Amino acid sequence: MNDFDLDRLGDVWRQQPDPAELERLRKSAAAVARRARLAQIVDVGAAIAVGTAVIVLVLSNPTGRTFLLGGAALIFLLGSNIRQRRLRQLELKSLTGGTEDMLDQSIERIEATLRHNRLSLILMGPMVLVGAIFMTAANSDVDSAFQAAMHSPALRILAVAALAGVAAYLLYAIRRGRRELGRLRAMREAYRQEREKSAQ
Amino acid sequence: MNAAASAAPPFETIVSDYGPLISRIASSYEADPSLREDLTQQILLAVWQALPTWRAESSLKTFIARVAQNRSISFVTRQVRQGPVAELPERIEADAPNPEEQVMQMNEREMLMEATRRLPLPQRQVIILVLEGFTYPEISEMLEIPANALALRLSRAKAALKSMLERSE
Repeated sequence: MNDFDLDRLGDVWRQQPDPAELERLRKSAAAVARRARLAQIVDVGAAIAVGTAVIVLVLSNPTGRTFLLGGAALIFLLGSNIRQRRLRQLELKSLTGGTEDMLDQSIERIEATLRHNRLSLILMGPMVLVGAIFMTAANSDVDSAFQAAMHSPALRILAVAALAGVAAYLLYAIRRGRRELGRLRAMREAYRQEREKSAQ
Repeated sequence: MNAAASAAPPFETIVSDYGPLISRIASSYEADPSLREDLTQQILLAVWQALPTWRAESSLKTFIARVAQNRSISFVTRQVRQGPVAELPERIEADAPNPEEQVMQMNEREMLMEATRRLPLPQRQVIILVLEGFTYPEISEMLEIPANALALRLSRAKAALKSMLERSE
């Protein structure tokens, strides 16, 4: 490959791929589109289901405390859905924009995620307390068999294991986020250097 | 879906028309076959999600190349491993008309692909777009850099690519 002709290299580069590979790509694309549509349906369905469950729980025991806590849970649910939607829109915007803008936005996003994960880790304890108060308030007038089941040692162990799992996941996400942030900053620096070279 | 979005062809048509472009861009960022498959799926998903935002003022090919490159770059940042993994030659059809010629072309293509993967990211982006046949104004617009900066970046990228190809011979 001694002659360096970009037009000729372009012809080599754009060789028609193997038909089997193209077929694999088509099948893969169909599966991706199917999964994406399903994910959209599940996303909306899950939000409706959780919202309905909270409303039913509150209405089954309509006291001031349950209204307050149920309202707080709904606001939290709505807020987290709005946040997810904004994140998706931001990601979409960065995908269709310039690469350097995308890197800047990705850095901001990872920094925000890191802040969110750190805060979640810190707030885990207080949130458990709020959850316990909500459960006590919601179950105060429910039959004793249900209450006994809710306070069984097995369920407590399960709850502690779930909390430990969430904490471990948050720690892992924080470490992964830090590594990703390092790589993003290195890439951003490569673009900045490239611009400086072009400006000289 | 709005009026501009309805101008976009169906996703299946896009995959038929621009599948090879997506596949080549994924290959130029990821050498490992299983990770490349993962990246290709992520690009397809990104295109599917971004398609409603496409406006006919830019060509669909440009739009897809931009999404594919950006998704590839964000994919690369998420990888923990250090360098690209050596790649096996692609499968060759048994009934190909000129097997020897095809093997030579495949080797040349693989060498080109491998050399491209070793380029620094800003230079790799430019070279990929040139090899894909985009015009300089299109590349300039896509990367949001002025024409003279593009010319300088391309010149450095060409020099680096040439040196790598000569070394790999």
